[in-house]
Amino acid sequence: MIKNILQTEWLKVKNYRAFWLLLSVTAISYPGINGVAYYAFMDSIDAKSQSGQLVKMLLGNPFAFPQTFHTTAYLSSFFTFIPAIVVIMLITNEYMFKTHRQNIIDGWKKNTFVWGKMLSVLFITLIVTLFYVAVAVAIGIIATKDFENAQLFNQSQFIVLFFLQVFCQLSIAFLLGLLIRKAFIAYGIYIFYTFILENILGGLFKLKAKKWGADFGHYLPFEISDRLIPLPPFIGKFNEAENKLAIAAINDHVLYTLILTAAVWAISFYIFKKRDL
Amino acid sequence: MPVLEINNISKSYGKIQALNGVSFSVPKGSVFGILGPNGSGKTTMLSIILDVLQSDGGNYTWFGQPPSNLHRKKIGSLLETPNLYHYLTAVQNLRITKSISGRGSDIEINEVLQKVKLHERKNSRFTTYSLGMKQRLAIAGALLGNPSVLVLDEPTNGLDPVGIAEIRELIKDLAKEGHTIIMASHLLDEVEKVCDHVAILKRGKLITHGNVSDVLSDEDCFLIGSSSLQLLEVMKSFDGIKQVKQTDDGVECYFNKAFVKPENINEFCFSKGIILNQLASKKKRLEEKFFELTGD
Repeated sequence: MIKNILQTEWLKVKNYRAFWLLLSVTAISYPGINGVAYYAFMDSIDAKSQSGQLVKMLLGNPFAFPQTFHTTAYLSSFFTFIPAIVVIMLITNEYMFKTHRQNIIDGWKKNTFVWGKMLSVLFITLIVTLFYVAVAVAIGIIATKDFENAQLFNQSQFIVLFFLQVFCQLSIAFLLGLLIRKAFIAYGIYIFYTFILENILGGLFKLKAKKWGADFGHYLPFEISDRLIPLPPFIGKFNEAENKLAIAAINDHVLYTLILTAAVWAISFYIFKKRDL
Repeated sequence: MPVLEINNISKSYGKIQALNGVSFSVPKGSVFGILGPNGSGKTTMLSIILDVLQSDGGNYTWFGQPPSNLHRKKIGSLLETPNLYHYLTAVQNLRITKSISGRGSDIEINEVLQKVKLHERKNSRFTTYSLGMKQRLAIAGALLGNPSVLVLDEPTNGLDPVGIAEIRELIKDLAKEGHTIIMASHLLDEVEKVCDHVAILKRGKLITHGNVSDVLSDEDCFLIGSSSLQLLEVMKSFDGIKQVKQTDDGVECYFNKAFVKPENINEFCFSKGIILNQLASKKKRLEEKFFELTGD
């Protein structure tokens, strides 16, 4: 059954140029952002100035093993919106071409259709994670001077955390596409919410945190999984107390992310089953 | 056992009652036409039996069993418009149909594309097709794997006259091979030429259904002619006549089915001093019956 679903979903995307183009953009964006950050950092510590030497002494090299897994995960996560567009495109295309109806007419159960999309989102998450791992390892190899003493995979848990974060955020993108059905409206809402609205809400919750006794901004849909990958230590050092709390809360956010992701898919299955096609 | 049995199906969209307690059954091996003006509920009916829409009430069975996705896999369907992936070619689209339904093979994909005359464009993307070619591809998808039951919603939509005739012949051939075909259309000529059973819907209600000849021949019509100008007036006095009217071809006389024989009419006219020069039984056309049943 799963093999048939995977095979069918593969037939849908195998010859879809826009799909591969956007994944290629993602593939370029990851080495792009991490490469720029790496060379900017190297420039700053190579400077013969006193401040450059101070930075080197205080921060070490955040791109060397094992910190590369954390640093590149954090930087790469800024570009999750590109695979999110791919996911929105995959579901809204089905509505635009009315192929969601045809899939059911041809013999799929409604649940099977959503399973197909879930497996597609997992597939995209896997590809994106592989991009991230490739970049993390490549930059780690370039940046690490002393391989003998480097604990190479000490922070490889960030691979799992990155995977979970991307899957959760792509799942939300899928639900949005399923609800809105129109591609451009869904893209607009996704971009507006992730880049603007959630940041505004996060700021507002932060202002009210003392009054309310907790910062509820941590539980906003994207922030829940954003907190799986807190600031890397070389940035976090500037607000060490808060960063320690963020690192300590990772396990809690793993749980919240799993619950949110499960809820997103449960809602997706429910909506698709109950809605007329 | 009927292939499809529909019991008291209802469906509304807000205040609009799209289907209202519709019941009928489709015999195995029949070519069953669902007729009705635009908005009569034809596509809604087909959408419900293909599980795309959920009915508000009633139920239906396929092959005498509660409906399931396994039944849909065995049914070749075309619903409303060609629902295919625009960025894929004909062959790539049909491979998806094959993958989901389990019907057909790569060889059969080529065969159905030849059948609908799309073989030469089989590797062109769907977006490059004309409306008629898109419709042909959707029909090819329905035919894939030679399913025993076909559900076709307006199958000749967008086709040119040659294409319409080809699809009509295709449907007739499939019927001869024993396929059951359920076809919705508002093209009465098309239905009359290919269907042996019909259901007529009007504003969501089933007006009539059954064998086409039974539906059409609930009354007898005779076309008579004479050089006498009194014929029309004389026939109005015929005992039991339902309707009489002058047409360009002569005088049409309507009676309840099997109420009168031609010789009775001839005898009656002769007794009134009118000699007929024309007396023929006239078969009512589906178009006439349709307007009669669906007219306000």
